[in-house]
Amino acid sequence: MNQTPDSTGPVPLLQVEAVSCRFGGLLALDQVSLELEEGEIFGLIGPNGAGKTTLFNVISGLTPPSGGRCLWRGAPTAGLGASGLNRLGIARTFQNLRLFESLSVRENVLVGLHHAARAPLLGSLLGSGAFRRQQGQLQERAMELLTLLELEALAEQRAGDLPYGDRRRLEIARALATAPRLLLLDEPAAGMNPAEKDDLRRLIGTIRQHFTLTVLIIEHHVPLMMQLCDRLAVLNFGRRIALGSPAAVRTDPRVIEAYLGSSGGSSGGSSGGAGGDGR
Amino acid sequence: MDAALLEQMLLGALLALSVYLPLRCGQLSLATPGFYAVGGYVAALLSTGVPAFAGSGATSPLPALLAEMVLGGALAGLIALAIGGPVLRLRGIYLAIATIALVEILRVLNLNLPFTGGAMGIFGIPQPFAHAEGYVLFTLALLALACWLCQRLEALRLGRAMAAIRDDELAAACVGIDTPRTKLIAFVASAVLAGVTGALAAHFFNSWNARAGSFDASITTLAFVVFGGSRLWPGPVLGGLVLTALPELLRPVGDLRLILFGAVILLGPLFFPQGLVTAERLHWLAARLGRGRHRGRQAPQAP
Repeated sequence: MNQTPDSTGPVPLLQVEAVSCRFGGLLALDQVSLELEEGEIFGLIGPNGAGKTTLFNVISGLTPPSGGRCLWRGAPTAGLGASGLNRLGIARTFQNLRLFESLSVRENVLVGLHHAARAPLLGSLLGSGAFRRQQGQLQERAMELLTLLELEALAEQRAGDLPYGDRRRLEIARALATAPRLLLLDEPAAGMNPAEKDDLRRLIGTIRQHFTLTVLIIEHHVPLMMQLCDRLAVLNFGRRIALGSPAAVRTDPRVIEAYLGSSGGSSGGSSGGAGGDGR
Repeated sequence: MDAALLEQMLLGALLALSVYLPLRCGQLSLATPGFYAVGGYVAALLSTGVPAFAGSGATSPLPALLAEMVLGGALAGLIALAIGGPVLRLRGIYLAIATIALVEILRVLNLNLPFTGGAMGIFGIPQPFAHAEGYVLFTLALLALACWLCQRLEALRLGRAMAAIRDDELAAACVGIDTPRTKLIAFVASAVLAGVTGALAAHFFNSWNARAGSFDASITTLAFVVFGGSRLWPGPVLGGLVLTALPELLRPVGDLRLILFGAVILLGPLFFPQGLVTAERLHWLAARLGRGRHRGRQAPQAP
């Protein structure tokens, strides 16, 4: 739908307003603000411990912010919790992969279709015709998603037995099954070789078109992000230090300093940059 | 095997299923004997104190038994509903400890309430069935119903949500599953099953006292599930049947039986850490039984 990536609708899909997050003495996020427009691919980059995953946790409802708030289509999301936010239309993947390991690949996606599986109890128990038709549709939908993610051959395998790359794609399939409007991808290319990263980039493009999605993505691989994203924000020590088009961000002196200057040093820095362990 | 022992085994299997239900979504609750005692007291009080339930005094009508089971299950379920909200915020061993505390609170209440008969409890509970065989058939039907529900759960949205929570509660919340609600449903279902079983058991044992719901019983019912296997419903059923029968079958060896019983409980998990019943063993069994007949269980079904 939204072919022009920087089209500004009346109300942004998601607004992050001055969100802070404090864990004991560590300020993981410091007054971070962002706005996501419908349909864009928005990248979040920054050195390790910059607070990227913490921001994901706040947006997806896993971590309540210590200050500030998030707005979904203009309405505050406080108190909804992870499942409430998912039902609004926010789905996510995890940096360290959280599949339902004892379930099959197909069942993982079926769990993601939870919202679409509502059925009257008695009909479900007795296996009524309506219930079986609905089950058939769910199975079909699950297989469609698995086919899109090239996992259809592995449908009956236990998710815990999958190799790494397949697990990453399964997590995306499971997130898509929840019919999100906004997809949060936490380092989807971690541990992938250049060819796989290329496939992933194409996949994200396909997904966005297929589902008219907005995508917020954390990734360390900067060239991939430059190609993929419409806009980028850069976090460093919990603060947003840059925001804009990839070209603008690339030349921002503060970004260059964050990546080449003060961070990356083996001393770890004195301002608490070693924290923010990605939880 | 005499019918009285068979009846106790079936009751054991029902209690094991009650422990299994919360475990299906990863919740280790030891509250089953507490709800079992509550259900038993409901039946005992009604059938000894209320003329409509008491029948002739020695024998009570079957509809009264059914009504007591419904009421016993309902009261247990209501207690579970009331305390489930806060209690289920606890995880793992902390939930187990909280549910043990619940069992103890209910036990002390049952000992000291003015109408529960103190330490002696309530006796002379009328019999809806003339013989133990009647109980066996009735309980078998109840167990079959419970097993069928557990089996159906597998195909249902609720069952999948429970399995997802067991594997990863946080990820389950992130795919839109209302995790507190799902855990509460499992906990209440477990309580209802235990309460219904208690109402039936009170009639069968003819008397009921606070010992029905003790810490010992919590551990015993947990052993059913650990021994039989906690992943699939046939596991707890098998565990409940075997471990209820064992102390009785070992009676001829005298005091040694307690040692042997302890050894079985110890060695079972040692050699079968997943419990006796696992998916692999069931598939193997199905393959042996169905040799010749083609079984398409493993084959992916075309939608």
